[in-house]
Amino acid sequence: MKNCFITLFFFGIATLIAFWFFHNVPENPANIALVYITALVLVARFTTGYFFGIIGSLIGVVCVNFLFTYPYFALNFSLTNYPVTFLFMLIISITISAMTTQIKTQGKVLLEREKLLMEAEKEKMRANLLRSISHDLRTPLTGIIGNTSAYIDNKDKLSDEEKLDIVTHINEDSNWLLNMVENLLSVTRIDERSMKIAKSEESVEEVVAEAFSRLQKRLPHAQISVKVPEDFLMIPMDAMLIEQVIINLLENAVVHANSKKPIEFTVTENANQVTFQVKDYGIGIAPERLSTIFDGTPYTSEQVSDMHKGIGIGLSICKTIIVAHSGTIHATNHENGCIFTFTLPKEGK
Amino acid sequence: MNPKPAVLLIEDEENIRSFISTTIKNHGYKIISASSGIEGLHLCASLCPDVVLLDLGLPDIDGIEVIKRIREWSPVPIIVISARTHEQEKAKALDFGADDYITKPFGTVELMARIRTSLRHGKQIGGTAMQSQPPYHHKELTIDYDKHLVTLSGEMIHLTQIEYKLLTLLSQSSGKVLTYSFIMEKIWGPYVDNNNQILRVNMANIRRKIEKNPATPEHVFTEIGIGYRMAECE
Repeated sequence: MKNCFITLFFFGIATLIAFWFFHNVPENPANIALVYITALVLVARFTTGYFFGIIGSLIGVVCVNFLFTYPYFALNFSLTNYPVTFLFMLIISITISAMTTQIKTQGKVLLEREKLLMEAEKEKMRANLLRSISHDLRTPLTGIIGNTSAYIDNKDKLSDEEKLDIVTHINEDSNWLLNMVENLLSVTRIDERSMKIAKSEESVEEVVAEAFSRLQKRLPHAQISVKVPEDFLMIPMDAMLIEQVIINLLENAVVHANSKKPIEFTVTENANQVTFQVKDYGIGIAPERLSTIFDGTPYTSEQVSDMHKGIGIGLSICKTIIVAHSGTIHATNHENGCIFTFTLPKEGK
Repeated sequence: MNPKPAVLLIEDEENIRSFISTTIKNHGYKIISASSGIEGLHLCASLCPDVVLLDLGLPDIDGIEVIKRIREWSPVPIIVISARTHEQEKAKALDFGADDYITKPFGTVELMARIRTSLRHGKQIGGTAMQSQPPYHHKELTIDYDKHLVTLSGEMIHLTQIEYKLLTLLSQSSGKVLTYSFIMEKIWGPYVDNNNQILRVNMANIRRKIEKNPATPEHVFTEIGIGYRMAECE
């Protein structure tokens, strides 16, 4: 149907132009033939398959014969070169149709290949995430199992102090596990297919305050100074998820950075976005890791030892959450430590 | 002091039940425990506990249903135990008559604080009508209800009418979470629309007047997706 319309449209236009030439430049009839050939080329280009190209060449020949050669408005197939004209038009249309079809198939193949690549990329990300989860979960579990069996096996020989020590370690490890599970659970709030989240207008300072107080419950000795804008600020977000991001980044800074001064957590705003920044005065990040730190890439074997209970999953979850909010997240080093920055757009899409 | 206050615990997980029971017993309360909603309702009716601790995810009937049935005949304080991520469920439980909630997992300190708060508020309901209330104190903040006066380290704080009403409402239920919808209805009346932005803005203004740093509040805490809680009166 669409093809039919395209054919009629181009030949209609061609006929109009041809009429104009016929009346204004009658001494050069070659123009009329050229106009029809152009129409034919366009039809062959914009329709699918060969059928309409062939029909087009027929129409072209008939039109020229019927409208623009003597006797006008009558078909006269006795003209000498007639079959030759038809043959040439046919050749042109078939050639163009063949080219068009080929281009279209190629396009389709390319698109499919791209889709496959995307799928593979997703699959790889999932595998990476699973690998780092398993690694990160195994560490505290090993600690818990080890400590509990040490207790069971030696319960008569252990002093009270040793017992308390064991239980404290178990407590720490299970808290850490819980944190991990909460991180993983938070990701399930993101719709897997569309990567969309349910956003509502939330007050930035309330989210920051709750994240901060939850972190302080877990790490009472953490030294953090928090600053939010003087103006009251509400932006669209999933508060639970953003809270998780803030907690992850702050905890990261507290636990891993060995910061010498209090960690600074600042929120600033401009016309389009709100920027959250966690700045520590610690050991910084190896430059070669900066670009991949949010990807959840598994560590190479020698890194595992000094990467106490991986920061991998937490950060890759941060990235997933921020990307789902159409925000940005990145890490940089400064002279005395590193800065993690994420932004959230003010207007939700 | 009367005989030990009795706590009814309705929780289906045995491990959690045993840990809560131990904790509560060690703090000098009497503990009654039930492993299903129906059993809990029976025990509540026959033993009249002073506080009910209720897990929302029960095997037989929905926790919300338990709240509704208890509320048909008893004002006993109900504290809901719930997982962190289900903020809507918590808000619903509070709106159906639960007094407070505690998020799994919780420490013993937090649990006992909630139980004490609930017991105190439970007494107030049964006690004399509020004629002249003692002032609210927490750190440097004082609210004198008789004089309509709010002071911070002795200095008077200027609040608007709405802000004063909000602060009074929160401080009179200090230690307890109040849901957005409850506060909205109490302050702006029953016909106010659902948009609680006006409440958030007022709370932000209060925070700027009474907190040193609005991002690390000491007096009024936000429970995201649920409401506000004011630090318990000292």
